[in-house]
Amino acid sequence: MNQTYPFKFWCKQQVNRFAPGLFFIGLVLLWECICVFGKVPNYILPAPSSIITAFLNVEFSRWMTHLWATLRVALMGFFLSIIIAIPLSIGMMRSELMNRVLYPALIVIQSTPVVAVAPLIIVLLGTDDPSRVLITCLITFFPLVVSTTTGMLETPPEMIELSKSLRAPRYRETWQIRIPYAIPHIFSGLRVSITLAIIGAVVAEFVAAEEGLGYFIQFSTSFFKIPQAFAGLIFLSIISLLLFKSVQWVQMWLFPWSLPKKK
Amino acid sequence: MKTKLKFTLFASLITSTSVMAADKVTFQLDWLPGGDKAPVYVGIQQGFFEALDLDVSIASGRGSTDALTKMATGQSDIGSSDIGALMAARAQDDVPVVAVLPYFTQAPHAFFVLKSSGIKSIKDLKGKKIATSPFTSSNAFLPLVLKENGFSEEDIQLVKSDPGALAPMMITGNADAIIAWVTNTALFKNQASSVGKEVIEMPWSDSGLSLYSSSLLASEKFLTERPDVAKRFVKAYAKAIQFTYEFPDKAGADLHKMVPEVDAGIVSAQIKSITNLVFNDVTEKDGFGYFTPERIQKTWKYVAEANGLEDDALEPMMIVNNDFIPE
Repeated sequence: MNQTYPFKFWCKQQVNRFAPGLFFIGLVLLWECICVFGKVPNYILPAPSSIITAFLNVEFSRWMTHLWATLRVALMGFFLSIIIAIPLSIGMMRSELMNRVLYPALIVIQSTPVVAVAPLIIVLLGTDDPSRVLITCLITFFPLVVSTTTGMLETPPEMIELSKSLRAPRYRETWQIRIPYAIPHIFSGLRVSITLAIIGAVVAEFVAAEEGLGYFIQFSTSFFKIPQAFAGLIFLSIISLLLFKSVQWVQMWLFPWSLPKKK
Repeated sequence: MKTKLKFTLFASLITSTSVMAADKVTFQLDWLPGGDKAPVYVGIQQGFFEALDLDVSIASGRGSTDALTKMATGQSDIGSSDIGALMAARAQDDVPVVAVLPYFTQAPHAFFVLKSSGIKSIKDLKGKKIATSPFTSSNAFLPLVLKENGFSEEDIQLVKSDPGALAPMMITGNADAIIAWVTNTALFKNQASSVGKEVIEMPWSDSGLSLYSSSLLASEKFLTERPDVAKRFVKAYAKAIQFTYEFPDKAGADLHKMVPEVDAGIVSAQIKSITNLVFNDVTEKDGFGYFTPERIQKTWKYVAEANGLEDDALEPMMIVNNDFIPE
């Protein structure tokens, strides 16, 4: 009796450990079975096996070319939005006038569908990287502005009062009190932005591009190569997931104190 | 230090001469690379452009109007696009783009049906469900082709869907017929045969809709500022068109070399299936590479009617420049 208890415990531990992976494998197997036994044609829903074959049929160097094109634009747009959003938030937090002037404009920019504006941006800025980076930046910077501003405004008022009573200059109040308090908010904004950056890069590639994963997917569908398009799509989601994780890793590495405490 | 200086001078000499030697031309496609877009790739791969000191780069487009805009704003010098789109644009605005060489002398629009559907002619489509894509230029010509066959849009049920979904809709029976360009015939046949079905195309050109379509257009700025370059380009491009349709397999391989994602076999099948859009009774009568005033007038008549424009909104020969026809 005594021996079964640790065994049961071990089993439970293993199930917990492998559950997400097993669930995923089960889902893929189910998908494969539906496609094979239900005789679903490739152009409606390709089976995982044909997606893998399609993935392997494209040369590795081509995948890398497309990946680099998308990643380059997504990261440039993402960093540009950080460079714009954080100083903008500091300015809006410190000046009521700036807040009143800029906030409506930001909302207008955010509520304009970028897909509709993208062709105009391409006409204005040309078909190279600058226009694609701008399109990406337009999609990514708003969540960052909102989360940074919210974070800085949520600094406990007693801390601000304390810094004022000690006659700390405003830049120290911002850098040493408000920004550290805003770090968790900034990182949640960054996590949203990085996934939006990939979407932004793909939207830009749909409008004008000669390479990139978005272009590759559009291209594959134009030739009705649906398994190949799915392969591109899955590759894109994996990249998106990895970027999301890397933002978490950066937070863990640079600001471990800002993470929520584990139970 | 001295050797370094010499090397730098030598390197700059090489780069400067190569810049001087080849004239740069940006070619605008109206869609993504594919069989009907092969000539420009063939021109590069077979060295037709290089032989005339041209350094050609290719930009893909997202539809005729997108290509027109890019030529009008100077992002591209010359490119392929639908002449109907140019006519409609010029009738409404002063777009600085003109047509210099006809490519498709017949319209590529067509209905596609399954053989098993029992539909044998356009007349049989009365009361049927027809799927089309939302932004295709074919939609504007649909009422005209239906009128030629004695019925109107009210007699059919028209649904709009993504271009990639059209053939699956027809094959699964969600639509009785679809509207697409005959450039897709090879792809549709491929898809249908994978489930043991057969596709039939019914080109609109067979039922009266006879007009110029995809053409070589150029920005007026390019033609006035660099006429000599333009002339050489048109000459090499015309040669590339001839080569593409004479040797479709080689053309497929050339395109595959530059765009590895494209299957050379599919491209050559596409080229073979659209040869009659490029070389046909019209080119036999009028010669290849020349816009005749009568056919331009006829094309405009269709375009005006399809787009709801007045007949006198455009003097159609104004949009054509026949000065660049290769000798």
